[in-house]
Amino acid sequence: MRKEDTVKLISAEGFEFIIDRKAALVSNTLKNMLTSSGSFTETELGEVRFPEISTPILEKVCQYFYWSLQFASGKETEFHIEPEITLELMMAANYLHT
Amino acid sequence: MQSSLQAMFIRVKRKKTTYFLHCDPSETVLEIKQKLQSLSDNHVDDQRLVLVATQQVLEDHKTLADQKVENDAVVALTLKIPETGQWEDVSIEKPADYQSLLDSESC
Repeated sequence: MRKEDTVKLISAEGFEFIIDRKAALVSNTLKNMLTSSGSFTETELGEVRFPEISTPILEKVCQYFYWSLQFASGKETEFHIEPEITLELMMAANYLHT
Repeated sequence: MQSSLQAMFIRVKRKKTTYFLHCDPSETVLEIKQKLQSLSDNHVDDQRLVLVATQQVLEDHKTLADQKVENDAVVALTLKIPETGQWEDVSIEKPADYQSLLDSESC
């Protein structure tokens, strides 16, 4: 795995999540940011800041990306969501088109 | 190949950083460290991985399955301190204001 194949997502509190580019593309918003030609600085840096998304929510979103890839490749497991983060997670998911 | 790549993933944490890594239960810990070396520029020999759930230090030549590292497991990365050659302690930061954030939003 090379650095260029990963994307760094940064939460409101400045925590960093380094994920596979393929996993990030699960989100349509990220897909647009990372694949559009030059209109986002994110495209070149492979780094996206989310000042509105808190650390635990962003981590859950990343877990979802990976779960989603597993699910798509035929590994059907449940995705567990703690009730107390549901609302915030849905708002993040809405923003990310996930 | 494609499906084996998606077989499982682990979360490797140190301080404020989390690496999500695709991996296979048959991979050795050394192979995981090699992936981390290419991502984080820390040499394989300067990395120590600890399974957070059990506080067990993972051995290079055993596989993930051997050491009960499962899908979505959290593994702590600690680095060798250059001056002393000792290992730093496990250190994973958590956002301090998470609970207060939850409280304020539930009103």
